[in-house]
Amino acid sequence: MSVISVQEKKPLIKFDMHKCAFCKLCELSCSKYHCNNYSDALARITVIRKGYTMFRYFICTRCDKLFCITACPKNALSYRGGNIVVDEKLCDSCGKCVKACPFHGIRLHPVTKFPLICDLCDGDPSCVKACPKGALSLVWLTETRK
Amino acid sequence: MIMMKYGGYKGKILKINLTTGAISTLAFGDEFARKYLGGNGFAARYLIDMVDPSIDAYDPSNVVAMMTGPFQGLDIPTAGKYYMATKSPLTNGYFDSVSGGYIGGQIKFAGYDGLLFAGKAEKPVYIFVDDSNVEIRPAEKIWGRLTGETQEMIKEEVGDPNLCVSAIGPAGENRVKYGCVITEYRAAGRGGVGAVMGSKNLKAVAVRGSGTNQPFDMKKYEEWLAWYKVEVKKVVALTTGMPTYGTTGLVASVNNQFGGMGTRNHQGEYFEGWETLSHETLKKKYWVQDTACPACPIACSKVFTVREGKWKGATSEGPEYETLYSFGSMCGISDAGAVIKCDNLCDELGMDTISYGVTISFIMECYTKGFLTKEQCDGVDFSFGNDDALMDYAEKTAKRIGLGNLIAEGSRLAARKVGHDSERFSIQVKGLELPGHSARALRGMALGYSTATRGGSHHDARPTGEYAGVSDRKAIEGKAPWVIGTQQMTCIGDSLVQCHFLERLLGFTLTPKYADMINPVTGFGYSFEELRDVAERILDLERVFNILAGHRRKDDNLPRRFLEEPIPEGVSKGMHTDEPTLNKMLDEFYPLKGWDKVTGIPTREKLVRVGLEDVAEKLKGL
Repeated sequence: MSVISVQEKKPLIKFDMHKCAFCKLCELSCSKYHCNNYSDALARITVIRKGYTMFRYFICTRCDKLFCITACPKNALSYRGGNIVVDEKLCDSCGKCVKACPFHGIRLHPVTKFPLICDLCDGDPSCVKACPKGALSLVWLTETRK
Repeated sequence: MIMMKYGGYKGKILKINLTTGAISTLAFGDEFARKYLGGNGFAARYLIDMVDPSIDAYDPSNVVAMMTGPFQGLDIPTAGKYYMATKSPLTNGYFDSVSGGYIGGQIKFAGYDGLLFAGKAEKPVYIFVDDSNVEIRPAEKIWGRLTGETQEMIKEEVGDPNLCVSAIGPAGENRVKYGCVITEYRAAGRGGVGAVMGSKNLKAVAVRGSGTNQPFDMKKYEEWLAWYKVEVKKVVALTTGMPTYGTTGLVASVNNQFGGMGTRNHQGEYFEGWETLSHETLKKKYWVQDTACPACPIACSKVFTVREGKWKGATSEGPEYETLYSFGSMCGISDAGAVIKCDNLCDELGMDTISYGVTISFIMECYTKGFLTKEQCDGVDFSFGNDDALMDYAEKTAKRIGLGNLIAEGSRLAARKVGHDSERFSIQVKGLELPGHSARALRGMALGYSTATRGGSHHDARPTGEYAGVSDRKAIEGKAPWVIGTQQMTCIGDSLVQCHFLERLLGFTLTPKYADMINPVTGFGYSFEELRDVAERILDLERVFNILAGHRRKDDNLPRRFLEEPIPEGVSKGMHTDEPTLNKMLDEFYPLKGWDKVTGIPTREKLVRVGLEDVAEKLKGL
């Protein structure tokens, strides 16, 4: 399903903590899809573990408040087709979007320093496909934004 | 920056001298990578060059290696691991221990293929590697802490909840001979690597990297992954058994199908209380969640919680089969809750569960036989089945209090101190306590344990092929080549730093399928013969290390109980490998390996054939 065709709905990658086994294949598949090599520092999704069964994931939730866009002093970020899009010509890698995101959904590329934000891999997220436990799923929520 | 011709390597090893604080990088070239492959091979080569094998394991000149292979950081199944090696205080020989943990990938991402720790810090320290920025940080505040706390405190100090930390617990600090290294909840458990870290005042290692790892040929690599995804579906153990039950399924099958589950210090091999330790009970009553090593779709690790009974409230990742054997049947304890509780204690204290459990069961037999009086046991009742004693002495052993000081020495040294010819029933080979794969019910393991570099380890020779019926478990003929094949397979697995669960798919012994997996990642273009030579080269390096440490053919032995007493009951009743049979198998084994039949020393011709002329020089005059 293309992202553009369902603009009136908001995509979200949902996470089931009880199914997650903390294998981090989601992170590796993300880096593989976008950068054609393997690194968790290049992943747009992060899973962390605290204690035996406390798993948390961090990814762009396409939140209604769009904290990152508001925080960007260069207007390099915009919300288009259900994704936060980075204009690399405008971005000066100040990292304010990273700090502004309460969901820890953004990190800077370790080399180019541009923000890395989930783009749903053209509507077919590689992390969802890679998860061996079915802990990740793509759902569509009703868009409340005007 | 070093450019490697081959994929999967960074070409750099980080060396940290804890005495002087000197931090240096050792570069290696393409030839070295091709010759030694990674993990096990790298560590064996560095250790034999850097360490005098005859020293005491706690001597500051001993070196601890923390290595990766070409696969770490990739999404290849079962390779989310790291590899530790040192001279062991328990076996006095070369020892390696592999554990799951994201730190292996992080070492790669930080730009290294491994870390080497030499010398001894004056005060407790931990190491923080952040890409090329390496720091030796003070650890006085965290010294004495449990492994879980230690990891949390370091994460907090660095300010990164996602940081990978490998830490030792109080057991390692107090040089318990089987102190281990814990990452998250998984252990590089055996042989006292943690104790050697403790002797260096090295509390923990934290690594974070922002780099990448890439296979040599991405297209062929993806083709291999696609092949794997199709083929793995045909292996029930990897698609249903392991993901659902982990290794706990072995309790029922080993106990009932093979009659080879060591019970009450191997006085028997059938445990009547197996049902409450079985995979079905664990899944139904205790299971909470599956967890996996990084990048592993199998997720064999299980989190268990005790919801009722004496040990209510205990939670642990594990126990796996070996712990159910060592704390369960070996100590005569049928309450899985007690096993879960003690598994958690040992993880937190940083202690190997197999060695601890088997040593306790040895103490229990001594107590039952009257070789240890109640006063000598601090007034504690060490009868089989007493889970309170097992629980109490976890901490006392880690801190070497009272009888714990004796238990901390492992069953071989404990037997020598107890006397009464109790070494006859100390269940160890080369000082390493045996895991739950019977050397009496499986002929391959009899030869496997006795000839293994590490001694009583089920990751040198493997029992799985005999369980699967590929090799007849009762046969004597043909066992030597079978065992050599499984040892080559595990050696390559340890060099790739990959777990051996893929053996059901790729082969119980070394097969060309292993070369097919390695070649897309590294680009070596290994033939099967070349890969086999790599395995032989690494195994011979380990053997030479042990020979220089004083091991000979006489050390390739089995616990005397196994040589003298047949299994008294169950499916395998009457089975055992007596001394003449063992000698017969050894006589077949040594010439096939190219080792001297009388002494067990690798011959010069063999060492030259696998390209170890320089190492052959070290053996001159022996």
